[in-house]
Amino acid sequence: MSDFNYAGEPALEAHGLGMRYRRGWALQDCTFRLPAGRICGLVGPNGAGKTTLLNIAAHVLKPTQGSLSLFGEAPGSVESGRRTAFLAQEKPLFRRFTVAETLRLGRELNPGWDQRAAEDIVRAGNVPFDAKIGTLSGGQRTRVAVALAFGKRPDLLLLDEPMSDLDPVVRHELMGTLLSVAGERGTTVMMSTHVLAELENVCDFLIVVSGGGVRLAGDVDELMSVHTVVTGAREGEDLPAGLGYHTLVETRTSGRQFTALIRPEGPVTGPWGVTVPSMEELLLAYLRSPDAPPLITPTAHVQGQAFGTRTVAA
Amino acid sequence: MSTFTSPSANGKNGTTNRTMNGTKNGTKNRARHGSGNTRTTEAARRPRLSGMTWLVWRQHRAAFWTILAATVLCVAWMVYQRGQLMDFLDSYGFPAKNLDDAGKRFDPYIGAFSSVTTGLTAIPVILGVLLGAPLLAGDLENGTAKLIAAQSVSRNRWLATKLALTGLVVVVSTVTLSAVFAWWWNPIKLDYVDIDWSSREFFNTTGPVPVALSLLCVFGGVLIGVILRRTLVAMVVTLGFAVAVQTVWGYFKLSLGDIVTATTKPVSPGTPITFPSSVPRTAHVLDTSYVSGSGKHFDLTTCTDTLSEAATTSCMKKADIVGASIDYIPISQMSSMQWLGASILFALTAGIVAFLFIWGRKRLV
Repeated sequence: MSDFNYAGEPALEAHGLGMRYRRGWALQDCTFRLPAGRICGLVGPNGAGKTTLLNIAAHVLKPTQGSLSLFGEAPGSVESGRRTAFLAQEKPLFRRFTVAETLRLGRELNPGWDQRAAEDIVRAGNVPFDAKIGTLSGGQRTRVAVALAFGKRPDLLLLDEPMSDLDPVVRHELMGTLLSVAGERGTTVMMSTHVLAELENVCDFLIVVSGGGVRLAGDVDELMSVHTVVTGAREGEDLPAGLGYHTLVETRTSGRQFTALIRPEGPVTGPWGVTVPSMEELLLAYLRSPDAPPLITPTAHVQGQAFGTRTVAA
Repeated sequence: MSTFTSPSANGKNGTTNRTMNGTKNGTKNRARHGSGNTRTTEAARRPRLSGMTWLVWRQHRAAFWTILAATVLCVAWMVYQRGQLMDFLDSYGFPAKNLDDAGKRFDPYIGAFSSVTTGLTAIPVILGVLLGAPLLAGDLENGTAKLIAAQSVSRNRWLATKLALTGLVVVVSTVTLSAVFAWWWNPIKLDYVDIDWSSREFFNTTGPVPVALSLLCVFGGVLIGVILRRTLVAMVVTLGFAVAVQTVWGYFKLSLGDIVTATTKPVSPGTPITFPSSVPRTAHVLDTSYVSGSGKHFDLTTCTDTLSEAATTSCMKKADIVGASIDYIPISQMSSMQWLGASILFALTAGIVAFLFIWGRKRLV
């Protein structure tokens, strides 16, 4: 691929980011960029470093190594603080505040506050404005927390497992709101989740972290197009030799059949069925094989980044 | 920092009103809009807090109002007690008649002092434990510190507003109590001997001392809360800290004054010893001793284990006791001692606040 897609400023850029806790490294040597205007899914198993990564971006944690920048500014600077909204995993709110007071908090502390947008989100869930936060259900509380994050009118929205305690109907509705608001304003969204189904039709960018490192990062279309699912008959006990030319991400066998997710390095020839993977297939393959060679597509490359991974022919 | 904005000059208020009662969504939430409307019109009548000041006041308003209400109640009680005291003094004929002769009739009025001082001396501990310790520990424990960090205001502003509002409430409360208590005590301060001005009950409750002790305990509690990040543990540790502060203070407070020594003129050994008469009645006496011809000090128990008066006299003569001396601190030094001590406490408090800003800021999420 010759035309590197560096269009637009990066919303978020990580350079050799590492975070060490007493237990060990939670995140190590993470380098990627998230272009502005994307809806990015941050995927990984529990304890992979998703929350750590989001907390560093939200200036809650200081990285042990490397750096991270938001629109070219360090987290915690006035500018990035104004442009970024963060919804922490535990969705903290003042329990004794009413819903109206919680929205007032957002209004008082944020210059670009959009009261109408925030109220609409609360109203859509029929959450009474004069109810105390402590008396709300988990889902209602999440809705208020989401309203608080949206009302800030951020350029970058960092959401840590935003929908984990919502029922499917509400989840769908809030996702719709998220997409329409983000689309309207060109908001960049980075959203961690381990519900893969949540990502389909929502994200146009993916970052997979596992074992503290970035396994996969890039534009969804691009990622899909460079992977292929190959199904065929095994040759004896082994995989067909012809597959060896390509980068194997994951192979599974059942009886005399094999299914492999590969990154073709050339034309795939052989007596095999070749299909385009679904997003879920792709993500599962990478999550199940932590040893698969990581892939960071050019859109996710930090300018000047040394290509530690194979370049991709898209 | 505490910005009061009048609603007419505040466009935000208008926005709320409009959206809360917007015709677009008006049908679904009729009842709620009603209550929202009352709230905004009520707020429109008086100047209101805004920004961070509003948030901090709203978050801690229960504690702040409790402190202010308790202060008002306590002041009312002290004003009433002072009235009672003045009535008694008038009917008794003070200051023409000496209070020492009042005897038992005066006891209830002294008793009223001691019941109030019990409460007043506990104020630094109470404020430190109930206001200081949970101030930031609560936010760190509940994660609401993260919520604030996610807004467009700096952590410094949050910390500064929290400390400033808390400090303001503490200062208003303790200054008032200190002044009113001193006003109550003042009529008999220089005439009633059974009250020791250097005692905890009176030294720690008047002048700048209650303010300084309270601020140190409260901000010390805040720092403990930031270190421990758990409300309950912080409250327990702050209790220990506040008690320790009071203990150390009680131990050192007398060294803030200049000790005055009064000595009698030497008499020839064997003649009866008189004690210095220049010591003010209300002075705090540290030590009384006999003085020998060579200038050595002897205990008052010297020659007390003798069997007859003659033996005592000869014993005193043998020990060459020629006079007596009294070490004391006069009540006139009280104020300067309080200010000197309070300025040390204020300096410590300032150190804690500086430490909170320089180091604690990083831990505020």
